[in-house]
Amino acid sequence: MVLSPDTASPIQSKRQAMRKSRRRTIVRHTILILWGLLIMFPIYWMVQTSFKDSGEWVTWPPNWVPHSPTLQNYGQIFTFDITKEGVARQATEQPFNIWGALGDSVLICTLSALIALFMGTFLAYAISRFNVGGSKFRHSVLIIRMIPPIVIAIPLLMYYAIMVPLAAETVLGTRISLFDTRVGMSLLYITITLPFVIWMMLTFIEEVPYSLEHAARIMGAGRMYTLRRVVLPLVASGMVVTFLFVFILNWAEFLLALTLTHPDVTTLPVLLNKFQSASEGRLYGPQAAIGTIITIPVIVLGMIIQKHLIKGFSFGTIRK
Amino acid sequence: MNERVTTVADLRKDGITARFSAWLSQERIFRWIPFVMVEGMIICVLIIPFILTIYISFLRWRANRPFEQAYLDGFRNYEAVLSDPGFWLSLGRTFYFAGSAVILELIIGFILAMLVHRIVAGRRIYITIFLIPMMVVPVVAGYNFSMIYLDSGPLNELLWPLTSLLGINPRIRWLSNPLAAQWAIILADIWQWTSLTFLIFLSGFSALPPQLINAARIMGASRAQVFLWVELPLLKPAIVIAIVIRSMEALKMFDPIILLTYGGPGTSTQTIAYYLWEQVWQFNKFAYGAAASILVLILFSVLIFVGIYLLGRQSEAVERGEV
Amino acid sequence: MANIRLTELVKEFGSTVAVKGISLDIENGEFLIIVGPSGCGKTTTLNMISGLETPTAGEIMIGDRVVNDVEPGDRGLGMVFQDLALFPHMSVFENIAFGLRVQKMEDQEVQERVRAAAEALYILPLLYKRPNQCSGGESQRVALARTIVNNPDVFLMDEPLSSLDAKLRVDMRTELKRLHDRLKATFVYVTHDQAEAMTMADRIVVMNGGKVEQVGSPLDIYDTPMTQFVAGFFGMPTMNFLEGVLTSSNGDPIFKSGSLEISLPEESTQNIKDNKVVLGIRSEHVSVSDGALRGQARIIEPLGDASLVYFEFGEEEELVAKVSPELRISPGDQLMFSLQASHCHLFDQSDGHRLN
Repeated sequence: MVLSPDTASPIQSKRQAMRKSRRRTIVRHTILILWGLLIMFPIYWMVQTSFKDSGEWVTWPPNWVPHSPTLQNYGQIFTFDITKEGVARQATEQPFNIWGALGDSVLICTLSALIALFMGTFLAYAISRFNVGGSKFRHSVLIIRMIPPIVIAIPLLMYYAIMVPLAAETVLGTRISLFDTRVGMSLLYITITLPFVIWMMLTFIEEVPYSLEHAARIMGAGRMYTLRRVVLPLVASGMVVTFLFVFILNWAEFLLALTLTHPDVTTLPVLLNKFQSASEGRLYGPQAAIGTIITIPVIVLGMIIQKHLIKGFSFGTIRK
Repeated sequence: MNERVTTVADLRKDGITARFSAWLSQERIFRWIPFVMVEGMIICVLIIPFILTIYISFLRWRANRPFEQAYLDGFRNYEAVLSDPGFWLSLGRTFYFAGSAVILELIIGFILAMLVHRIVAGRRIYITIFLIPMMVVPVVAGYNFSMIYLDSGPLNELLWPLTSLLGINPRIRWLSNPLAAQWAIILADIWQWTSLTFLIFLSGFSALPPQLINAARIMGASRAQVFLWVELPLLKPAIVIAIVIRSMEALKMFDPIILLTYGGPGTSTQTIAYYLWEQVWQFNKFAYGAAASILVLILFSVLIFVGIYLLGRQSEAVERGEV
Repeated sequence: MANIRLTELVKEFGSTVAVKGISLDIENGEFLIIVGPSGCGKTTTLNMISGLETPTAGEIMIGDRVVNDVEPGDRGLGMVFQDLALFPHMSVFENIAFGLRVQKMEDQEVQERVRAAAEALYILPLLYKRPNQCSGGESQRVALARTIVNNPDVFLMDEPLSSLDAKLRVDMRTELKRLHDRLKATFVYVTHDQAEAMTMADRIVVMNGGKVEQVGSPLDIYDTPMTQFVAGFFGMPTMNFLEGVLTSSNGDPIFKSGSLEISLPEESTQNIKDNKVVLGIRSEHVSVSDGALRGQARIIEPLGDASLVYFEFGEEEELVAKVSPELRISPGDQLMFSLQASHCHLFDQSDGHRLN
C-alpha cells in the first residue's frame, strides 16, 4: 500500500517534532549538567585539597586529584597535642586545632537555637491563639533579616564591651563583660533568630485546628496540659525543622562572631578566617579540612529540611 | 462524679506553686507571658544598644582612650563621615556589586528554573544539587574561591591555552587587579546565591496553573506567546520577591570580601559593611563608626521600607488569589 | 440531673452582635436541636453553653448553678465538634481516655471505662488504631465514645454529622436517637439541616439573625410555622409563597394575587388588620389533578414515592406541587390546579409573622 502524501506528512511532521523535542531535552540537560559541574567544582576543590599533602597544596600546574591522598590535614586539626612533629613544622605560634572552635560553635548554636525555639514557639502560640501584639511581627522578621549585621555589631560592641561592664561594676561591684563570651554570643543569636522561629512556628501552629484545644478544654484539661499533650506533639516535626533551620543560620553566621568574639571564644567560621589572614605560609590543607567539617553537616541538615528552606528564605511570600 | 471533679480541682489550688501556675494559666495573664519575654529580649539586646550607639555617635572619643574621657561634641562625627570620600565610594561600590550580582543571579536563576521546570527525568537530582551552594557557609565559600583565584589555582590552569596563545604569564593574580578583584567577588556571590533565585523562580513556575497554559495553547498561542502573555505576568510576584530579597542581602555583602581581598587592592573592593568594620575594628574609631552606622541604618531603613512595601503588595496579591 | 436555662443571652464580637438576647429553658433529658442558616448564632449559643465563649450579657444556668464564670471542664458536659476534633497523634484508646487522664484517674478504672464506652458504640476493635485509620462513621463513634466516657449530664453537639456522607448521616441519626434514649442525658444539638432537626429532636429551636424564631416540637413547627422564615426553612421542597391582598366578597375572606383568587376559611382571617399578606402553602397541599385554576407544567422532578411538578400560572408566577407518581404529566402540559384552603398559612408582608 502506498501512502498518499496527505497521510504521510502528519506522521513525518510528528516524527520531526519528536526529534526536535528530543534535541531540546538534550540541550536542556547539557546546560543543567554544566551548571551542576560549575556549582560542585569549588566544593570538590576544597574537599580534594583537604586530602592533599602539604607539598601539593600549591603547585603549578595544580593537581586536580591528590596524588598521594592523606588524612594528615584532618589529623592536624583534630589533634589534641599541638606540639606533635607534623604540626610544629608550619604551625607558627597560633594553635590551629579545631576542638575549641568546634565546641564553641556546637554549644552556642545548639543552645541559642533551643532557647529561641522555646521562646519563639511560645510566642507563636500566643500570637496564633490570642492575637497578642503580633500584628506587625512579620515586619520585624524582615527588618532583622535586612539590616546589615555590621550595623548591629557596632552597637553591640559598645554595649557588651562598655555599657554592660560599667553597669555591672556600679550594681554588682565586679566587671562583667559580655564581649567575647559564649553567653553574649548566644543572647545575640537568640534575639536575631527569634523572628524566624516565630514566623516558621506560626505556620505550623496555625495548622493545628482550634477545635482540638476546645475539645481538651471541655474535657477539663488546663491550658498548660493542653499545650503539652495536644499542641506540642502535633507541631513536633515543625519544631525540628525550625530548630535545624535556626541552627544552620547560627552555624553559618560570621560577621557578628568575628566582631564580638576572640580570643576567648571562637566559632568555626571565625577560625577558618583566622587562617586566611596569615598572608604568608597559609595552611591551605588544614583550612580545607576545617571548611569540609563546617560544610558537611550543614549540607546534610539542609537537605533534610530542603522543602522547608524556602519558607525561611522567602518569608512565606511564595505559595507552595 | 461531679463531687469528685471539684475535689480534684480544689486539691490543685492548694500549694503555692500550684496556685501560681493556676494564676499563670489564667487567660489574661498567660497570653502576655511570651510576648513580654520576647519583647524584653529584643529591647535588651537590640534596642538599648542602638540607643547607646546614638549617644556615642555624638561623642568626641579618640581611639584607644578610655570611654570615661569622651565628651559630647555635636554633629562633628556625622560631618566627618559625610565629608569622607571613602564612605561615599564604598556606598557606591556596594550598589555596583549588589546591582551586578543580583541582575546576573536573576537571569541565571530564571533560566535554570525554566529548564528544570520543563524536564521530568532527573528533576529532583538537579534541584538537590543546585540548592547546595545556598547551604554552604559563606565563609567557606569565600575560602573556596580564594583557592580557585590563586595564581597557581585551577582557574588559571583552565585559562592556560588562552593565555599561552596571547603570550601572557598564565599565573594571573586575579585578586591584585582592581577590576578583576571586583568581579571575582561578584562571581563568588553569584555562585552562592543563584541557588536562591533558582529556588524562588522554581516554586513560582510550579505554582503556575497548568490548565491556564493549556487553555492558552488550545486557543492557538505559540510557545513564546504563552511565555510572554501568560507565564511571565503570573511569575511577577516571584520576580519581585527575588529582586527584593536578593538586593537586601547583597547590599550587606561582607564575608567574601574579608576572605578574598580585605577590601583591596587599595580600596577597590570595599563595601559599606567592610568600610564600617574597618573604621571600628581596624582603626578603633568608635564614635566615628557609630555615626557612620547610624547613617547607614537610616539609608537602609528607607530601602527596607520600600522592600517590605513591595513584598507586602505581592504577598497580598498572592493571598487574594489574583496571581 | 441537668436542665439548662439561658436568660437574655447576648454575644457581641466587636461591633457585630452574633446572639441578640436569647432566653431558653432546656429540660432535663431533652433532645433539643438548634437549627438555622449559617451565621444565625446557633454555634455561638452552643459555645456559650459549653463555656468556650463568654457571654457579653445574660446568664447561663446548668442544673441550679450559674456557670458564666465556670471553666468549660468544670461544667459537667461533653461536646462533639463539627470536625470531631479527635487528637490525631493519639490512639483511639488515648483519645477516649483523655478526659479521664486529665482527672488523674487510676489506670485500672480508665481501662474499664474506656472499654465500656467503646463497647457501647461498637468500636472495641479500633482501640489501638489512630483516628486517621478510621472511616468517617468510625471516627464519629470514637468522638461519641470520648464524650460518653466522662458521664456528662449534658451533651453538646455542633453539626457532628456534617462530615459524613448522605447515607451514613441518615443511619447515624437513628443511632444518636437510640443513644439519647439510653443515656437519658440532655442533648443540645446544633445543625443547619432541617431534616436532621425534624427526625431527631424532641423540641426544635429555630434561630435566624441571632434571634429565636420559634420553639416547638417538630410537627408543631412543620404544621404551624410562626414566621415566614420558619415556614420556608422546613420542608422539602420549600413552601410556596404568594404575595397578595386579602379582600372579601359576600363576607367571605378571599386571597387575591394577580389572576388568582382563593377563598379562605372564615375563622382563619378574623384577627387580620393589614390586608397585605403572604400566602404560604406546602407542595403536598397543592393539587393538580382537579381544580378551577389553569396552569402549565414546566419541570417534573420524580422522587420515586412522589413527583414534584413545577408549574406556571397567570403572569409567570410559579408553584410547586407534590403529586402521586402515577399521575403522568409532561413539561408543557396544561393542567388545572387548586390549593387546599385549610392548609394555607398567612404571613404579614412587612415582618413575616404568622397571621392566622
